[in-house]
Amino acid sequence: MIDIALGDYFAPLLNLANYVAELPTSIQLRESQYMMPWVFVLHVISMCMFAGTILMMDLRLLGVGHMQTPFSQVQRRLFPWQMGAMLFSSLTGLALVWGNPLNYVTNIIFWVKMIAMVVAGLNAMAFHFITEYTLVDWDAGKTPPSAAKLAGWLSIFLWANVIVSGRLIPYALTWFRS
Amino acid sequence: MEQYFIDIAGWSVSRAINESSWIFPLVQAFHLVALGFLAGSILMVDLRLLGKGFSQQPLARVARDARPWLLGSLVAMVVTGIPQFISLATKEYESPYFRWKMLFLLIALIWTFTVKRMVAYSPEGRFGGGLAKLVGLVSIGLWTSVAINGRLIGFFS
Repeated sequence: MIDIALGDYFAPLLNLANYVAELPTSIQLRESQYMMPWVFVLHVISMCMFAGTILMMDLRLLGVGHMQTPFSQVQRRLFPWQMGAMLFSSLTGLALVWGNPLNYVTNIIFWVKMIAMVVAGLNAMAFHFITEYTLVDWDAGKTPPSAAKLAGWLSIFLWANVIVSGRLIPYALTWFRS
Repeated sequence: MEQYFIDIAGWSVSRAINESSWIFPLVQAFHLVALGFLAGSILMVDLRLLGKGFSQQPLARVARDARPWLLGSLVAMVVTGIPQFISLATKEYESPYFRWKMLFLLIALIWTFTVKRMVAYSPEGRFGGGLAKLVGLVSIGLWTSVAINGRLIGFFS
């Protein structure tokens, strides 16, 4: 067991978590035998939709998948599914935290996941506002520029990190003392 | 039948996985990463079948591009699935969700490599739009059922 004391750094959040945990909706979620497992199931389904449509776009960005379709087409067609799935994931994720807030705010692996999500979002923004302006030069081409490949690799690495750390959240209790 | 599962759980590899505090969680985590790739490569074709994207691309071209990723992620799913199964073989034997998952997996695989494959690779228009939509919907339904039952194995046993 590795000692970490997240509670000290997150004292204000801990107060918020305590407040949420006492709300009737939070108690209902937590105490219902079937609600939580089904929210977990829906969270996994939304992850399939989100990660699936993001990863397929990343493969095109790396120049290794779906090469017979121009990048702009892959991106445009998948975009509404990515955003819809992100919303679906966020809502089910929020419900999970709402039902057990104290489990999450002091969990180091949960924060690794949250930070990876923020960085993945920044990576997507950087691609959209910088690299995508060069799109006309390589849209249908076989070899996207290295800036595009970098964005693709970062996206795969960061979202895989989100999935892995998400799955490992419950194990923080056996691996770390916080 | 039950004896097979008990034997598998008794293998030294299975016991080693159970004794480690990190092998099982990590294998499980990468099973989910592979699931992301699998879902993506299935959805690329299913969304096209539903007419929800890539309509400027011939269906067979979308399907051919997705194929190596479908096969690769299926291999990754099996490779990360087997260690989980052997270490929990006796629990899986008793879990109704494991049985449902395997049943849906079998049907989903057959559907994907027979009906869906035939519709996806045949000349455009040979099968009407309504039929293509149905094939895509059934595929999404079958694979979603595999994922749902997979997740439920961990909750109720």
